[in-house]
Amino acid sequence: MKDEVKIILDICDKILLKNVDHHLRLSLEPNSTQFKTLKDEIISSELTKLLVKEDLGGAGMRLNDIIPIVQLSAQYGTPIPFIETIISNFLLSELNIKPENDFITLTNKTENIIIKKDKISGNFKSIPYLNLAEKILVETEINNQKYIILFKKGGKFRLQKNFLSEPKFDLDASDLEIISMMEKPEQIDVQNLLINIRSIQSFGAMEKILKLCIEYCSQRKQFGRTLSKFQMIQNHISEIALEVAASGASLSTLKNNNKNFYNLKSTAIPKIRTGIASGKVIALSHQVHGAMGFTKEYELSYFTKALNSWRNEFGNEIYWQNILGKLFLNQNKNLWEFLNH
Amino acid sequence: MTYFNFPHIEEDDNLKNLRNDVKSFLKTTFNSNNIKPQADAWMYSANPEFSKKLGEKGWLGMSFPKKYGGREKTMLERYVITEELLVAGAPVAAHWIADRQSGSQIIRYGTEEQKKEIIPKISSGECFFAIGMSEPDSGSDLASVKTFAKKTADGWELTGRKIWSTGAHLSHYMIVLARTEKLDEKNRHSGLSQFLVNLKLPGVEINPIEDMTHQKHFNETVFNNVKLNKDALLGEEGMGWQQVVGELALERSGPERFLSHYILLDNFISEFRYKMSEMGITSLGKIISELQTLRMMSFSIAWMIQEKKSPDVQAAFVKEAGNVFEKKLIETIREMSNLIPFEEWSSSLKSLFQDATLRIPANSLRGGTSEIMRGIISKQLGLR
Repeated sequence: MKDEVKIILDICDKILLKNVDHHLRLSLEPNSTQFKTLKDEIISSELTKLLVKEDLGGAGMRLNDIIPIVQLSAQYGTPIPFIETIISNFLLSELNIKPENDFITLTNKTENIIIKKDKISGNFKSIPYLNLAEKILVETEINNQKYIILFKKGGKFRLQKNFLSEPKFDLDASDLEIISMMEKPEQIDVQNLLINIRSIQSFGAMEKILKLCIEYCSQRKQFGRTLSKFQMIQNHISEIALEVAASGASLSTLKNNNKNFYNLKSTAIPKIRTGIASGKVIALSHQVHGAMGFTKEYELSYFTKALNSWRNEFGNEIYWQNILGKLFLNQNKNLWEFLNH
Repeated sequence: MTYFNFPHIEEDDNLKNLRNDVKSFLKTTFNSNNIKPQADAWMYSANPEFSKKLGEKGWLGMSFPKKYGGREKTMLERYVITEELLVAGAPVAAHWIADRQSGSQIIRYGTEEQKKEIIPKISSGECFFAIGMSEPDSGSDLASVKTFAKKTADGWELTGRKIWSTGAHLSHYMIVLARTEKLDEKNRHSGLSQFLVNLKLPGVEINPIEDMTHQKHFNETVFNNVKLNKDALLGEEGMGWQQVVGELALERSGPERFLSHYILLDNFISEFRYKMSEMGITSLGKIISELQTLRMMSFSIAWMIQEKKSPDVQAAFVKEAGNVFEKKLIETIREMSNLIPFEEWSSSLKSLFQDATLRIPANSLRGGTSEIMRGIISKQLGLR
C-alpha cells in the first residue's frame, strides 16, 4: 500500500471511529448534530476529493488507491453518502468540472428525462441517502447519447419500502436546476464502476461480520463453555472466513489496473463471487448469533441488511453469472484462453 | 481489520511467454508420444519418460539453486508451468510430489550431501518421492504417528507403517515422519523427526491398495527394522513437526486443488458449447467466477512462498475452497447439461465424467481433510 494511501486511511479511520456507531446508524437525521459533525469532518478533511485531479483541487488518487478506503467505510457501516460523494466528484473531475464541497448522491436509474434550458425533469430511482445529500449526479441517456448531469436536490422524493440498511429514495423531479451537464466519456462505464464499488463494500461488510461473530462467540457461554469452543460454531465461522477470503481475492484484479473498474469480465467475477459469499455469510452469521443477531439494537443486522441490499442491486449474482457465461461463449475462445486474457 | 490477505500479483509478459512455451511443448509432446490427457493426472497418470522430458526442458526443480542442479527460477514461474500441465491433463504423477514438496524440504533442511545427491535427480525428472505422513492409526491426527526411529551406533533403525502413500511403488524415496522419542501427551508435537528413506533398502515393503475406482495408485509402506545411515535424518532431530507444517503448505496451496478435473469442464464446453440452455450458461458463469478467484488465491500464495512468508493458513483456504469447488464441479456439469441427455455425450466425455464422479470424494481427504482445514482456520481466528 502506498504511504499516501496509508495516511488517508488513518485519517479516515480516526473520523469514523470517533463518529460512527450503531446509535448513529439507527437515529440519523439530516438536522442532527451528530450528522452535521460527521459531515463537516469528512468534507473539511477533503476526503470526498480523493479521486479529483490535483489541478481541480483534489488528491489525484486513482480508483485502485481508494479500495481500502471504501472497504473501511463499509466495515464501519458508515450511514452517509460518503462513498457516493467520492465517486460523484471523481466523475465530475473526469469531465474537468470542479468538485463540490457538499454531499452528492448518484444513480443511473432514470426514466422520462426532459432537459429544458438549464432545468431537468424526470423520474429517478433507487437513490441512496438522498435525504442526506444536497445534490444529485445522474448518468442518463438522451437521444442515444449518455450524459452525466449534476443538479440540485428538490421535488418530491419517497423512501422506498425495502429491507435495506441504507435508505433509498425515488425522486419525481420537475424543473430542477442543472449545475453541470456533459457527455459521458466513452471509456467510463458508470454502471460497472458502481457495481465494483458495491463489491468492495460487500467485502468490507463481510469482514465486519466475521469480526462480530468472533467477538460474540468468544464472550457468550452456553452449557458452561464459550460458544467458540463448540466445533459446529468453529465450522460456521471458518466457512464465513473462507467466503470473506474468496471475496477479497475476487477483487484483486481491480487493484492493479484502473481500467478493470469498467471492464465487464473484471466486474462480473467479483460481483458474482461476493454475491454468493454474501448469501452464505448472512445465513451463517445469524445462525452463530442466535436471537441476538435478529434484534435491531445489535449491529449485526445492519450489515446483513446492507449485504442483502447490495447483492440485489444492478442484477443479482445469478443474472451476472448468465452475463459472464455468455461473455465467454460469445468470444469463441477456449475457457483457458478466456481466463488468461 | 483484514484477516487474511491475498495480495494481487500480476502475470507479467515473461510469465505469459512461459505459458505459451509450455503449451507448445505439450502439444508437440502429446502428439509425438501419443499421450492422452487424463483428469486427476497428478495422482493417477505417471509417465517417467514424460517427467524426464520436463526435466530436460528445465521445468522441474524450478526454484532450486543452480549449484544443486536447480534452475533458480521463481515460484511464480513454477506456478505457471504447473497450471499448464494440469489444464492439459499431462502425465505428471511420477515426479509431482518430489517437485512440489520433497525437493523444497531437502533444500530447506537437508545436508550438503543430501542436496548434492538428490536435488539434481529431482530436477532432471529422474527421482520420485512419496509422502510418509499418514499411518493406519494416524490420519488427521498426524502428531500421533507411531513409526519409530531408534538411534543405533551406525544411524537409525526405522520400524512402522505408513499408509495412503501415493506412488510409493514408483518412487525412489519417501520423507518419513517418525517418532524419535516416546510420545509425551503434554507436548505431542515434540520428539518427531523427518527421515529421507531410500525405498529400495532391505526391510521396506510396499503393498498396493486398490481404491474404489479399481486403481492402485496408493499403498501401504511397511518399514521392518530398516537400517538407516546417520545422514538419513532430514533437518534437526526432534523438529519434525515444525518441518512438516511447512511441507503441508506446499502440499495444500497449489492449483491441483482445483484444476484436477479441469479437462472435464473443458471437454464438456468443447462438445456442447452451442447446446447449453440458459440455465447451463448461468451455471457456467458461476464456475468461471469461482475458478478465477481460486487461481488468484493460489497464485498469490506462490508469491508469498517466493517471498519467504509462511502462508500456512492461506494454503488451508485454497485447499478447502478447492475441495468445495471440485465437488461442485460435478453438479455444475450436470446443470450445464440439463438439456443434453447423457446418452448424447461422447464416450471420452462420459468416461471423464464418471472418473471424476468416483474420484472427487478423495479430494477433501487427501492432503488434509476439510475438517482439519477448518480447524486450522478456526485456530488462526483464535477460536481454539
